[in-house]
Amino acid sequence: MRFLQRRFGELSGYVFILPSFVILGLFLVYPVIWSAVASFKDIRPIALRQSGLFEVPGDLIGLRHYVDALNNPLFQKAVVNTLYFSVIFIPVTMFGSVLLAMLVNRKLPAVHFFRSVFFIPYVISVVSASLIFMFLFNGDRGLVNAVLGLFGASGPNWLASTDWAMPVIAIMSCWKNIGYYMLIYLSGLQNIPKDLYEVANVEGANAFQTFRYITWPLLGRISLVVSILLMINALNVFQEVYIMTGGGPSDSTVTLPFLIYNRAFRYYEFGSAAAISYLLFVVVVAITAIQNLYVKRRLG
Amino acid sequence: MRVARMAQTVVLWGVGVLFLLPLYWLFVSSLKSDSEITRFPPTFWPETLVRSNFPEIWKQLHFHVSFLNSLTITVPTVILTVLFSSMAGFAFSKKRFLGRNTLFYLLIATMTVPPTVLLLPLYFIIMKFGMFDKLIGLILPFSATVFAIFFTKQYIDDVPNELLEAAKVDGSGDFRTFFTIIIPLIRPALTALIIIDAVQNWNSFTMPLVLLQSESNYTIPLKLALITQDTVSTPWSKILAANLLSMLPVLALFLSMQRHFVEGLMAGSVKG
Repeated sequence: MRFLQRRFGELSGYVFILPSFVILGLFLVYPVIWSAVASFKDIRPIALRQSGLFEVPGDLIGLRHYVDALNNPLFQKAVVNTLYFSVIFIPVTMFGSVLLAMLVNRKLPAVHFFRSVFFIPYVISVVSASLIFMFLFNGDRGLVNAVLGLFGASGPNWLASTDWAMPVIAIMSCWKNIGYYMLIYLSGLQNIPKDLYEVANVEGANAFQTFRYITWPLLGRISLVVSILLMINALNVFQEVYIMTGGGPSDSTVTLPFLIYNRAFRYYEFGSAAAISYLLFVVVVAITAIQNLYVKRRLG
Repeated sequence: MRVARMAQTVVLWGVGVLFLLPLYWLFVSSLKSDSEITRFPPTFWPETLVRSNFPEIWKQLHFHVSFLNSLTITVPTVILTVLFSSMAGFAFSKKRFLGRNTLFYLLIATMTVPPTVLLLPLYFIIMKFGMFDKLIGLILPFSATVFAIFFTKQYIDDVPNELLEAAKVDGSGDFRTFFTIIIPLIRPALTALIIIDAVQNWNSFTMPLVLLQSESNYTIPLKLALITQDTVSTPWSKILAANLLSMLPVLALFLSMQRHFVEGLMAGSVKG
């Protein structure tokens, strides 16, 4: 006993982490390894049903799934679609949340009420939000087209249009997430020393200059974290596509996670699904690594 | 200065109204009659308030089954997550044992795993455990999270070591120290964690979609997603009524515990 303690330290530590480690080991770490092995194999659905827990059935086929995925037009389309989503979602959410954080940081009338209002969309489920936006952007009886009608314009059938379906999904994601990022920026704003603004005021700086030379630079680190979180967000769009468009019209809203889901659970191409999910994984790890490097450099 | 303040107020209220609009529209539309909901241009307030939409859709969808399923999954998952994760948080914060730092870095590394990577292997593993299409398959595998371990560790770090030493001298065992000293001291953090985890589990869609098959096991989000697949039969007013009902528990939890929720999320994110 004493020997064990000298070698391993406080043994009760292991007792306390045991439940978490069994669960996370089996249902988080092992799945990651399983996927990696599966992405190099040709797996048949029948073989999967008969195999044991700790084996991945099928013949090794090397990098074929990866090569096939990269050459697949639908995969390329999913990448382009994700970029289209990001181009709208990332800037709007980022600048929207900075703007709102600055507004709710002031003592304006009803500011507490609106702070809650901005945050409510983040609390409801993606399914609920998707249903609301499907109805708002409905072609025949949606509110958006009715408002456009007031100005004499006639709106398209948004979610059935290859040009508009993705922007609608992106706008919904902005609505849903801005409140959360607003909170992150708010905590950043509250850390900026007040006297900086007093000096700016004495020097006669206008509102834009104050923002440009004080607020924005001092929010730099938070903006970096936020932009990484937004990129990872953009790479994980699945539920809203599944519910609002099912990937259509003509594949214009197929994202990588949607493609992976379809490969695995509609066409039973398990190896291929695992390979595409690993390509996604590699991109996320790369983004995170670049962030870490960048943060370290900026901190000196 | 006055003008600037006026302008800021106008922008705040304007954007605020824009943010409220979808929710207002959900509320109003859920009270419209089947014929009024199909009219174009739409009415901005229902001509006749059809409150019966709510009981009717509740019955039609057997919503009590889905509600019960969602509760059966959410409550145990949250309780186990809080218990297991704060235990691990305690060990990482206050115990010295071989491999502690390595294990901790391994945990950090798993945070980059996109949820989609887990879909297929989890389906396979949970099937092998015989938990496919069973509610337990959505409870046990998700009853410890990396986020919760980090979250509780941060707060347990602030508990002074002298306090734990004193308890040890008084002959308190590790579990007694954990339950009688640590848990009461980090109660505000645990409240926040409970709310965040409850909302997450209640809203969860992707994992139930993959792990449940029979409709009698469906959770609320799954059931809701299912009605949209055949909109021909269900009018939008009823779909939105069901949607509003599904949101009520989460909204009530959020509005009553807003401070805890927001503080918890901010504490969890800044480190991010």
